Amino acid sequence: MTPRQTGNVDVSGLPSVVFGQRALLWWGTLGFALIEGFSLVLTIASYLYLRQNEFDWPPGRTPNPDLLIPTVNTVLLLAMIVPMHAVDRAAKAFDGRGVRRNFAIATVMGAVVMTLRWWELLALNVRWDTHAYGSAAWAVVLMHSTLVIVDVFESATFCAIFRHGTAERKHYPDASDAAGYQYFLSLAWIPVYVVVFWLPRIL
Amino acid sequence: MASTEAHLPAGLLSPAERELLHQTWSDRPGFWGWVTAVDHKSVAKRYIFTAFLFFILGGLEAAAIRAQLARPENHLLDPDQYNQIFTMHGTTMMFLFGVPVQLAMAIYLVPLMVGTRNISFPRLNALGYWTYLIGGLFLYSGFILNTGPDAGWFSYVPLAGPQFSAGKRVDVWAQTVTFTEIAALIAAVELIVTILKQRAPGMSLNRIPVYVWAVLVTSFVVLFAMPSVALASMMLAMDRLVGSHFFNPAEGGDPLLWQHLYWFFGHPEVYIMFIPAAGFVSDIIPVFARRKMFGHTALVLSLVATGFVSFGLWVHHMFTTGLPQLGQSFFTGASLMIAIPSGVQVFCWIATLWAGRPRFATPLLFVIGFIVLFVCGGITGVMVASVPFDQQAHDTYFIVAHLHYVQVGAFVFPLFAAIYFWFPKMTGRLLSERLGKWNFWLFFIGVNVTFFPQHFLGLMGMTRRVYTYLPETGWGPLNLLSSVGAAMIGVSVLVFIANVFLSLREGVPAGDDPWGAHTLEWATASPPPPFNFAHLPVVGGLYPNWERGADAPVVTGLGNSHREVLATTVMDAVPDAIQTHPGPSVAPLLVALAIGVTFITGVFTPWGFVVGPVLLFPTMLMWLWPRRKPAAERAWCEERV
Repeated sequence: MTPRQTGNVDVSGLPSVVFGQRALLWWGTLGFALIEGFSLVLTIASYLYLRQNEFDWPPGRTPNPDLLIPTVNTVLLLAMIVPMHAVDRAAKAFDGRGVRRNFAIATVMGAVVMTLRWWELLALNVRWDTHAYGSAAWAVVLMHSTLVIVDVFESATFCAIFRHGTAERKHYPDASDAAGYQYFLSLAWIPVYVVVFWLPRIL
Repeated sequence: MASTEAHLPAGLLSPAERELLHQTWSDRPGFWGWVTAVDHKSVAKRYIFTAFLFFILGGLEAAAIRAQLARPENHLLDPDQYNQIFTMHGTTMMFLFGVPVQLAMAIYLVPLMVGTRNISFPRLNALGYWTYLIGGLFLYSGFILNTGPDAGWFSYVPLAGPQFSAGKRVDVWAQTVTFTEIAALIAAVELIVTILKQRAPGMSLNRIPVYVWAVLVTSFVVLFAMPSVALASMMLAMDRLVGSHFFNPAEGGDPLLWQHLYWFFGHPEVYIMFIPAAGFVSDIIPVFARRKMFGHTALVLSLVATGFVSFGLWVHHMFTTGLPQLGQSFFTGASLMIAIPSGVQVFCWIATLWAGRPRFATPLLFVIGFIVLFVCGGITGVMVASVPFDQQAHDTYFIVAHLHYVQVGAFVFPLFAAIYFWFPKMTGRLLSERLGKWNFWLFFIGVNVTFFPQHFLGLMGMTRRVYTYLPETGWGPLNLLSSVGAAMIGVSVLVFIANVFLSLREGVPAGDDPWGAHTLEWATASPPPPFNFAHLPVVGGLYPNWERGADAPVVTGLGNSHREVLATTVMDAVPDAIQTHPGPSVAPLLVALAIGVTFITGVFTPWGFVVGPVLLFPTMLMWLWPRRKPAAERAWCEERV
């Protein structure tokens, strides 16, 4: 049992800029990552559920997805962890220049990922309206793409805030949380990549 | 009746400091203030008000249904109108009233009950409300334009698919669902963070009020249930808009995928409404039994267990779809198992009342009505959890009776208890006890007269969603009786509305704590000031108001000139950091409008999902962009580090 407090509690000495689980926004980011991660899990589950209805996967004469562009994009997405890790470290050192530079790198990389994502969709070798396999494969990739769009927007915004001088010290923990979100985003792609681009070759 | 300041040491805050605190936390005045409000109480009150408006609309639809079914071969409504009206009734009650009103009550009560100044993400909170409002208005605009959804509140495919539901009716339904899911998910995240990180010092996990536990569990249920229906409704919209084949069996799709995704959300949804209702009951009973709750730990564990088990029941909605026998057995077991935590709670409530000195004010009457109706609904729930019985009763009025006993009994009754209980806190005036008793008895008798005969109608073979029936079926008298009951419920709701309006004008002033209650919201004024507490309280037990003396400790050192809230540790609520909250802003409304444009345009063309973000990004940027602060304020921001 937590002991009772007898005197008044003076909190005037507490810090207002705190990182990680001490900050409210860290928990908010975690909450939305949970929602998005679970949405992705359900989309993948739906893909696998629809698999049961076909003898072959991909069905009929639909070719397997190509691997080159998706694999390049996977590497790029995972490589985004590097500048975002640098953002995290710079944020914790209150190094505005480092934060800004690495956000800029991540923004450019994210934009390239989003551009390649179009060819990645073409690499599925099926349209969304061909049959349920096509619909499911597009759905899984697009579900992840919405997260990438949000992430690129977030990185670009942070970059601009830190560039144009309106950033305050309270924005450094936010930048650190953005790095955490990026790790989630990159790692969440791995199951999508395996399921959509490799599983048809195995199942 | 305890006074606000009686709990707090005198002289800690001068009148000037108090005024400054008031200014700091107030929303702006006038219309601009209305659209930019971020105070959790302002947002919650409009949320509750809007949800009750939808409750009345859903009730009018129910009245139309009962008028149509009152006698055989009635032609008050034609089949098409009937389809739209029962779909609108279910959709309104579940998506625009049930879930939103429970989350809205939590948005109002939780920050007060945990002793903080505002909800964790105030602007996000405002965004949730606006999104919900746009969704509701969109649904009813469709209905008025004869584009009301007509495939039932769970829109089963293939009926709801492009082949059998041409036009835009189902699309309106699907996008409305998307709006309400966004709002619910936002509320869930901000409530979780408020509960885990913004509790008053000393309110360790073992000292959280039961209602707050209930909201925490519910919020996690929302977090994992809502993505399922959001995904399902998006797939349905895509099947209808761009020709995808998720649910089209001719191209490898599967209608049962819809049912799995829908009920993976739909069954927990029942608990999203019930768990907070059980929390209301557990915090109301001790006040009127005038003793501490019997079995607090068992109650909390039951709520948590209910949250977990609620995800293991969805397939019992699908027993007639030809599932493997092992699956049926598992889900029968899980469905029966939910009776255990529910039973534990019922025994704890009865034991507390039994051992207390009950004061039968209106909130307690509604609580007792709830216990009776919930037990009845629970018993028929156990019956339909059994596969052989369910196969007979499926899609009949037996199910309609069961679900209304559960929904009205286990959710609406505790909600009314909560409104009678917390109305004085929200408005500063008590509701009339005399009208309250009329409200209760008409409602209680009305519900039983309406829904009890429907069990028999179901057993006699009356299926759901038939717009009329032949006299030879023999269903006429029981249907007439059911419609008479519905009229009683209607009168009861009219009494309630009259009670609210009369009491707002002429009700007895409530004072800070008219009931002698134990939770923290009663330790501040009614209605609470914008800052909630002049000094945040320090909590020393599970019943803070009953245990606090005049010299009870409080928090000092929080600034008055900025929106500062105290962040505490997750387990023991030890003060850990000061966090600043954002002030009023129009950005949440603009972002909600951009979301609205995205999804409403998306009903007609896939380009909506391209045009929408073009609007969304600038409004988001407006939200996120820090305003350039005067030098003194900047200095303050730096100083806090």
